[in-house]
Amino acid sequence: MPAKAIRLLLLAVKQLVRHPVRTSLTLLGVASGMFLFTTVQTMHTSLDRATRVRAADTTLVVYRENRFCPQTSRLPEYYENEIRAIPGVREVIPIKVTVNNCGASLDVITFRGVPPGQLARYAPEIAVIGGSYNDWKSRDDGALVGKQLADKRGLQPGDAFEAVGVRVIVSGIIDSPLPQDNAVAYVHLPFLQQASRHGLGVVTQFNVRVEAGHDLKRVAQAIDTRFKSESEPTVTQPEKAFFAQTARELVDLIGFTRWIGYGAVLAVVGLIANAVLLVVRGRVRENAILQTVGFPESAVGFVVVSEGAVLGFVGSCAGIVLAAVFLAWRGLTLGNEGQTLALVPDASVLVSGLVLALVLGMVAALGPAWVAMRRPIVESLRR
Amino acid sequence: MSEVLIHCHKLTKHYKKGTLTVTPLEALDLDVERGEFLALMGPSGSGKTTLLNLLAGIDSPSEGVLEVCGEDISRLSRGRLARWRARHVGYIFQLYHLVPVLTAFENVELPLLLDNMSRRARRERVENTLALVGLQDRMHHYPRELSGGQEQRVAIARALVASPDLLVADEPTGDLDREAGDAVLELLERLGTVHGKTIVMVTHDPHAADTAHRLLRLEKGRLLEAETMHHAG
Repeated sequence: MPAKAIRLLLLAVKQLVRHPVRTSLTLLGVASGMFLFTTVQTMHTSLDRATRVRAADTTLVVYRENRFCPQTSRLPEYYENEIRAIPGVREVIPIKVTVNNCGASLDVITFRGVPPGQLARYAPEIAVIGGSYNDWKSRDDGALVGKQLADKRGLQPGDAFEAVGVRVIVSGIIDSPLPQDNAVAYVHLPFLQQASRHGLGVVTQFNVRVEAGHDLKRVAQAIDTRFKSESEPTVTQPEKAFFAQTARELVDLIGFTRWIGYGAVLAVVGLIANAVLLVVRGRVRENAILQTVGFPESAVGFVVVSEGAVLGFVGSCAGIVLAAVFLAWRGLTLGNEGQTLALVPDASVLVSGLVLALVLGMVAALGPAWVAMRRPIVESLRR
Repeated sequence: MSEVLIHCHKLTKHYKKGTLTVTPLEALDLDVERGEFLALMGPSGSGKTTLLNLLAGIDSPSEGVLEVCGEDISRLSRGRLARWRARHVGYIFQLYHLVPVLTAFENVELPLLLDNMSRRARRERVENTLALVGLQDRMHHYPRELSGGQEQRVAIARALVASPDLLVADEPTGDLDREAGDAVLELLERLGTVHGKTIVMVTHDPHAADTAHRLLRLEKGRLLEAETMHHAG
């Protein structure tokens, strides 16, 4: 940036810093708007991560045909061996899912019952960051609790934990690159089958890993064909498509929130434009003096636009950082039909929020800058 | 032979006020030499401030010739006129017009912000100019922390800092008590005699006008008479 532009930017910063009350109130408003925007954007990017099927995805979910809730999807556990025999299947794991609330909820607790000997093989990406995996394996009522759920409930290894009528002991805290694993508790399959009173031998779904991403469709068709004439027919989909379909209420709800995000952005633009316009109106004579001492109109406009940009940038920094801290602290998850969506802000949301706010600040200040630039000097000096 | 710094020929300014056409300045002819200290007097509405604004390049004439510092400023674009003002004119206002959120130093520094000077050179220039007006010990004070006379001296420093050829002053002592006003007049006189600045000052005060080399009286936009003061240099 040329030295002159930096000097003008510093002049704009002085104008803001030396009107602390006015500037603080504007920043508070901008931060609130960008807090809301970041939260909404985080919901969208989290949903996108959970639902957009990518070429590298290799996971299928086998569910009971025409069922969308884990309470009603009941499949025989023996399907596991038949699925494993289908060409292209690398690994399969039966899962019993129990949730405290099938509807869309912010406070969902999900138990996933899995055969204890299979979890590490099926999901090697899961890391135990507290407690012991072996303790979990050896203990019938042990639970591996996702770190987000543990943070939210304040759980430590050794704690007892009860929900949905299921009482478990926390054997370990787990961390996974797959956000939904961090919001659930893994327990032994037989334990959950008995605790949920559906009995042994019945599971909610099978998660299947295939050899290669391009095999997903073929393997899914093969699985559904195999069980088509059984009493419990299946529908098999890529995991993310399954999420999108099963948690449709959640998807619709989050889709709607996009408008709230746009509203927040508009509010930020309006707030900055109003604040800068008031500044310009209150500084008519000062701007005329700048022009009298030799500032060209463009320099006066640059100072005004810089003030808008600084308000947008600093306010959004505060709002975005607050949103990121809030989401990390609260460990928010949205649940629907046994699917959990962890709201995890990522760098792209934070950076795009900052860039957006910077641009919005400048755009919002363009009108007031034009007003400041075009007012005749003599007329302004008389005010 | 003296150099003419300001040359006005049939200089006219008129503007619309509703359906009326107002002519605050009409067919004015005036030459001002470099280093001259000129006082303009006249009743309110006589066109003094309009003439000052035209000479300073912050207003444009409707008709006539206006050459200042060798440039026909009536023909300059707004951008070029701004650059011209930065180089050639310093404006001193009756009410000082300092930027309240900037310190005395920062106010004086304003005309240099768009100059290609190093930070150190800029600081030196500002400090020297503040020393010239006797305010080197007040440079980090805000306008609200200064007396009226001190504020006006900061404003004079701001007008001087870019070393302009021409200083225009619109009733520079109008808001000051006699003692502070005398100090400002003494300073202006010194800027003319010692530093060779050309000064055009509007005033209602005959005592202030006495400081000038030449006094012009305006009425209804026309030049009435010229009077050469006894101490003209």
